Amino acid sequence: MLPGAKSAITLPLLFLIALLYLPTDLFAGKLHAADKFILVKPIVITAYYHPASSSPDGIESITIPLKRVGHLFLIEARIDDVVGNFVFDTGSSKLVLNKTYFRKYIAVDEENGGGMTGATDGVGRTSVRSLEVSGMKFSNLSADVTSLGHIENRRGVKILGLMGLSLLKQMEIVIDLNHNEIHLFRLDKKGNRMGAKGNRHFDLVQEVEEFQNILLVKAVIGGKSLDFCLDSGAESNVLSSYSSKSVMRTVTIIKRSDLVGVASGQADVLYGMMNDFSLGGRRFPTMKTIITSMDRMSKSYGRVIDGMLGYDFFCQGEICINLVRNEMGITFSKSTDK
Amino acid sequence: MIGMKCFRYIGYVFMLLVLPAITVVGQINPKDACRIEDGRLVFRLDLLWSSSQKREFVQLFDLDSTVMAGVYAGKTEIVSKGIVWKTKKLTIRIVELSKSLSSTPENSPLPGDVVMVDDEQAGYMIEAQRESSPYGVNKFTRYSVFQYIDGCARFYLPGHTDVNQVYISGTFNRWSTIQMPMQRSDSGWTIRLKLKPGKYLYKYILDGNWTSDPFNRLWGRDGYIEDNSVVYCYNYFFTLKGKTDAKAVYVTGSFNQWNRKELKMFKTRYGWALPLYLREGTHAYKFIVDGEYIPDPGNKVVRQDGSGNYNSIIGIGEPIFFTLKGYKNASKVIVSGNFNAWNQLELSMNRTPEGWRLPYVLAPGNYEYKFIVDGKWMTDPGNPFKTGHGEIENSILVVQPNYTFKLDQSTDAKSVIVSGSFNGWNKSGYKMAIVNHQWTFPVRLKPGKYTYKFVVDNKWILDPGNDLWEENEYGTGNSVLWIEP
Repeated sequence: MLPGAKSAITLPLLFLIALLYLPTDLFAGKLHAADKFILVKPIVITAYYHPASSSPDGIESITIPLKRVGHLFLIEARIDDVVGNFVFDTGSSKLVLNKTYFRKYIAVDEENGGGMTGATDGVGRTSVRSLEVSGMKFSNLSADVTSLGHIENRRGVKILGLMGLSLLKQMEIVIDLNHNEIHLFRLDKKGNRMGAKGNRHFDLVQEVEEFQNILLVKAVIGGKSLDFCLDSGAESNVLSSYSSKSVMRTVTIIKRSDLVGVASGQADVLYGMMNDFSLGGRRFPTMKTIITSMDRMSKSYGRVIDGMLGYDFFCQGEICINLVRNEMGITFSKSTDK
Repeated sequence: MIGMKCFRYIGYVFMLLVLPAITVVGQINPKDACRIEDGRLVFRLDLLWSSSQKREFVQLFDLDSTVMAGVYAGKTEIVSKGIVWKTKKLTIRIVELSKSLSSTPENSPLPGDVVMVDDEQAGYMIEAQRESSPYGVNKFTRYSVFQYIDGCARFYLPGHTDVNQVYISGTFNRWSTIQMPMQRSDSGWTIRLKLKPGKYLYKYILDGNWTSDPFNRLWGRDGYIEDNSVVYCYNYFFTLKGKTDAKAVYVTGSFNQWNRKELKMFKTRYGWALPLYLREGTHAYKFIVDGEYIPDPGNKVVRQDGSGNYNSIIGIGEPIFFTLKGYKNASKVIVSGNFNAWNQLELSMNRTPEGWRLPYVLAPGNYEYKFIVDGKWMTDPGNPFKTGHGEIENSILVVQPNYTFKLDQSTDAKSVIVSGSFNGWNKSGYKMAIVNHQWTFPVRLKPGKYTYKFVVDNKWILDPGNDLWEENEYGTGNSVLWIEP
């Protein structure tokens, strides 16, 4: 544990004790299974329930230049004294650090282990004093430490970690691939950008459900309503291979690789096109997708997750996610605005 | 007769109705042949596909020859690589081929996983695969925006003084968006960078917004981004004295595949000139004066190209010296290596009082070579660094090494090899040698990530002097090395 973390725990603990005496429905829609899991980790509390310590002083918005390597979105940040690339990953619930560079950071309580997923293989926990992105500072953050070498080796770029959703609470995230920029805006309690006037116009507005620190949106394929996880860290959209007949009828399979040599023998890796994807009542142009099982994901979250919206989705236009109002606005790129 | 006519008409109508249906069924495009239905992967094949259509189908869907042979042999069940395929004949020429979907748990995403696509889908090219440019000339529309003097590059972005902060980001800093802030002046933003001669891609970042250099008309692609500005830091100046009455003079050479109309020289008071960047190494060239090829009259180094032509020769970079002590009684010593495609005649060494010597210019890199002493091949006895074994053992020459592998311990070991992603994990890879009481091996590596291990007397170990390592599939770890640009 780093200096300062201990003292930061005391206040939040008192805060938590006070919370026990409040009516539970105050938390409706806010406190989830994963939060309960996090609550047993004191270091996490400081980042999650202590906005003052994880928010920048005085900075209401930033523009982060985005780098694209393969289909990954990279942003650069300074973590304590180390500067480097992070994957901007809304599909990750929290900050994740690459073990290759942060091995010495792993806290001694590793035996309590297990990530959010319950996986115990090599996931350590730690806290970092400060994280700075384009002038916006976060302090006393909890992080998982795990090996991300496979991402580096596939993309030939140094990755310090994944920047997940826990850092972006109370914010509006704008992902603008046309200009290769990400904008972050601090929001007031009503979900308005601080210091900004007037409402923005979007081509489409869709409700977003925050569930166990991931973002879910409802989309319609082949007349069926499906739950997709909004994941900027996914290099492709993903659609469950066990979707219903009416969904699959609208999907064209364009490529298959026979992946032999995985532990259990053989696996189909399928690439396809979603020809009938609608969101917020609006039909999207054909989008690429990987078709694979979503079983493990669904089991981990205890509910059916039909797919993921990744790189191909974010290419459709400027995607704006308001994490207070829990809604997503899309302004389509001219080329996709049909 | 009327009855016959009726019959004929009915026949025509029947054919008109049926023929298009047959044609449509017969026109299956290999691209549209696959679907998923009830947990099964289903293909619809046309037995009359041409061989190129068949090839396309097999490649798109990764089907093996056993399966395809089974389909054409009319089998109803085909077993290949432990997978059971079923076939069903729909028409004379259309066959449905199917198997149950297999998605292993290992292959399906977990929460927090970063889902990655294969390189082809990601349009991805790693840095090491990028062609480094052998030459280049800048195209600035305003000359004050870039200067390069004595290894120092000065970038100047005029205007934008209302912006809070401007950064420069490029291949020289691995596209870092926060490491190189520019300095504000009254008229714009400047930065001075120490850069080696070469080609660089860059952009400015104005308060977080990526911007190409507005005064640079040379753009290059890196990954997805096509409008990166391109700049060359020059290291050579072609000059031709006189010929001032010529209309046009071009320089052409091995570096630009002898392109005749690409590199136009400009007229000076005394003749013609062209500054440019040329990759380090040895280059052959000529001038073309109003269509006539001439060697450079100001350069005495001329070599025959093998077809009777004489070209001027320049070496860019510091020459290295191949030396062989002794062998004074030999009549001829040749140096031959992968840098000259193991040519056994080209590079004849010169006799010296101590033995043999040859100066030669090579671009930075790792090369293999041998000496040929009166027809007999031998490794360089003066060079401890070698690769391979037995007859295929070659000496290794490292021009301008940018990293040296070192191992302090195991100095009593019989052999220590460094093996990694840079040499294909070759176990007879780079043989380290003891220099100053430690095992060493110098290398020249392109910028990027490398994983490696030492092999000490056939035992693989992590580099004890390197804190960076990552997990590997054997659970033993690999050391990690990053070479910065």
